[in-house]
Amino acid sequence: MIYNIFKKELIDTLRDRRTLMMMLVIPILVFPITLNVFVGISASFQEEAAVKTLKVGIVGDKNSYFAQQLNEIPSEMGAKKLVFFKDSASLMTELKKDSIQLGIITEKQFNQSLEAQLPARVTWYFDATEIGINERAEQYMKIIEVKAQQKRYDELEVDFRKVTPFQTSYQNIASDKKMVGQIAGGFLPYIFIAFGFIGCMYPAIDLFTGEKERGTIETLLTTPVARWQILFGKMMVVVLSGLLASSAALLGLFISIEFLNIVDNQEIMKIVHEVLSPLFIASMFSLLFPLTIFFAGVMIPIAVYAKTFKEAQSIITPLNIVMVLPAMVGFFPGIELNFITACIPVVNVVLATKELISGTLEFAYLALSFGVMVMLALVSVFVSYKQFGKETNVVS
Amino acid sequence: MIKVNALTKDFPLSRQQRKELNIDEKIARAVDNISFECHPGKVFSLLGPNGAGKTTTLRMLSTIFTPTSGTIEIAGIDAIKYPQEARKKIGFLTGSTGLYARLTPVELIDYFASLYSVPKNELESRKKYLFDLLNMHDFLGKRIGKLSTGMKQKVSICRTMVHDPEVVVFDEPTSGLDVITAENIIKLIRDCKDQNKTVIFSSHIMSEVDLLCDDLAIIHKGKIKHEGSMLDFRTNMQESNLTAEFIRIVQS
Repeated sequence: MIYNIFKKELIDTLRDRRTLMMMLVIPILVFPITLNVFVGISASFQEEAAVKTLKVGIVGDKNSYFAQQLNEIPSEMGAKKLVFFKDSASLMTELKKDSIQLGIITEKQFNQSLEAQLPARVTWYFDATEIGINERAEQYMKIIEVKAQQKRYDELEVDFRKVTPFQTSYQNIASDKKMVGQIAGGFLPYIFIAFGFIGCMYPAIDLFTGEKERGTIETLLTTPVARWQILFGKMMVVVLSGLLASSAALLGLFISIEFLNIVDNQEIMKIVHEVLSPLFIASMFSLLFPLTIFFAGVMIPIAVYAKTFKEAQSIITPLNIVMVLPAMVGFFPGIELNFITACIPVVNVVLATKELISGTLEFAYLALSFGVMVMLALVSVFVSYKQFGKETNVVS
Repeated sequence: MIKVNALTKDFPLSRQQRKELNIDEKIARAVDNISFECHPGKVFSLLGPNGAGKTTTLRMLSTIFTPTSGTIEIAGIDAIKYPQEARKKIGFLTGSTGLYARLTPVELIDYFASLYSVPKNELESRKKYLFDLLNMHDFLGKRIGKLSTGMKQKVSICRTMVHDPEVVVFDEPTSGLDVITAENIIKLIRDCKDQNKTVIFSSHIMSEVDLLCDDLAIIHKGKIKHEGSMLDFRTNMQESNLTAEFIRIVQS
C-alpha cells in the first residue's frame, strides 16, 4: 500500500511544473549559471583592469619626488599616467570626479624630512569601491619605500643585514585538501541544506495542504489504507524530492567545475575530483538522508495543520531561514565538530561535511551526528503521525 | 446494511472558536445520539438544513471521523473497531469531491483499485463495465485537470464504484452540479438500488429526496427529528407539500 501511494504521489509530483522547477531545474542550473556569470564578470574586470591606464595625481611638477619615483617603475606593473596639480584641493576635486584614480599628497616639509633622514609623511588617496586601486597604491609605495630605505642604509654606511635581526617565513602546513575543505566545506553543505529544504517544501505543501484544499484527501481516507501508510507514502515522496534537489545541486556544481573552466589550478582540480568520490557522496547522503527526513517531519505537521496552500507557504517560508541559518556556521573558521556541535542539528551536518572534505573527520563524531539526526528524524516522523491522525486537521 | 446506534460526535472548540461563537462550552456536539438503519436494495436519505450534522454523520459512517460514542455496523462489520475492514465495503462520493488533476482517469481508477486491492483480472472487467456504462472512452487518456465538470463527475463515480462496494455513501452528491451532470448521479443511485446495494445519501433538497429515497431521516442540530419510510412521510404529512412539511418538522 505504501508503495502504491508513493508511486502515485511521485508521478503526481513529477507532473507538477512548479515542484519540478524547484526540485530539479533550479538546483541543476543555479551553479552553472551563477558561476558562469560570476567568472565572466570577474574575468572581464581583470581584463579591463590590466589594460586600463591608471591616472595618478601629484601635487607639484614632473621634478617632484613621487613623479620621479613613479616614472622609474616599469609599465609591466600596469599602465599609468601622471597628472600634475598646483594644490591638493584641485587634486581632490578631480579624484572625486574619477578623472584620476590615485592621488598623492605629501607634507610641506617632505623633501626636507627626507634629506634630514626623518620619516616623511605621504598620503595616498583612492576610492576603495574601485577594484584593484588600493593594491596598486600599496605595490608602488612598497617599491618606492624599499628604494628609499636602501639609499638611507648606503648614506649611513649600514649593512642592511645588520639591521635585519630576523629572516622570517610563514609556512602553511595544511594540505591542499584541508584548505579546500575550509573554503568549500562551508559552502557546499549550505547549498545542499538550502536546496534540500526547498526541495521538500513544495511537495510537502502540495501533498498535504494541497490535497486538503482540492478535496481529494477525503476520498483517500475512505479507502482501506491505514493513515500511517498514507503518511509514509507521501512522506517518502517529500524526502525523495529533497534528496533529488540536493543531488541536482551537486550535479550542477560538478557540471560547472568540469565544463566551465572555473578552476584553473590543476592541483585544486585534482583535490576536487578526489573529494567528489563515491565514498564522499555516500557519506554526505548518509547525513543528508536523516536531515531531509527531519525537514519533511517539520514541514508535514505544518502542511497538515494549514487550511490553504498560502497559509502553509507563509508558515514554512520563514522556517526556511530558521533551518538554513545554522548551516552558515560552516563559513566561520575555528568551529569544529566535537561532542557538543555533533549534537546540534544542521550544524553537525555542516561541520561533518566540512571535515569530510578536509579529510579530518573522526568516525565517532560522524556516528554521533548521524545518530542525532536519525533521532530527530524519528521524533519529527512521530509528530507528523500525530498531526496526520487528528481528524480535524486532515478534513477541513 | 448500515446499523447506527446512539451515535454522538463532539468536536473540541478552540479558544478562538469559542470567542467567535460567543459560547463558553469547550466542545460542540455535531451529532447527538442518533440511531437508524439502512437496508440493502433501498435508498436512505439523510435530510437536513445546512449545519444539521449530515456530513459529520456520513464521515463517521465512512470512518473518516471516529464517533465520541455509539456504534456503527457496515455490512456486518463493526466500523469503529475495524475501520479498515469496513472501508473495503464502502464507496464514498460527495458533490465537492476533488480529483487528482495531473493524473488521467485510467491512472486514477488504477490507483484507487490498487488501494482497494482489486485483483487485476477483476479490475479489467470492472473498468470495461464502468467505462462503457458511463461512456468514458473518449477522455480516458486526458489529464483530469483538462476535463469538463461532467466528465470529472463520471470519473468520480467510476472511482467510487471500482471496487463494487456493498454500501454507497453520497454526501450531497448533486450539490453545485448542473442538471445534466446531476442526472448522472441520480442514475447511479438508482443503479445501486437495482444492484441491491445499501445506499445512504444526504441532501437538503426535498425534491431530490422525493425522487429517489425509500426511507428517510430528518436531522436538525445533530438530532433526528423524524425517521421512517418515504411512504409514511407522504401519508402522514400535515402540510400541503413535502418542502413545507420538511420545514415544519425542522422548526417543530
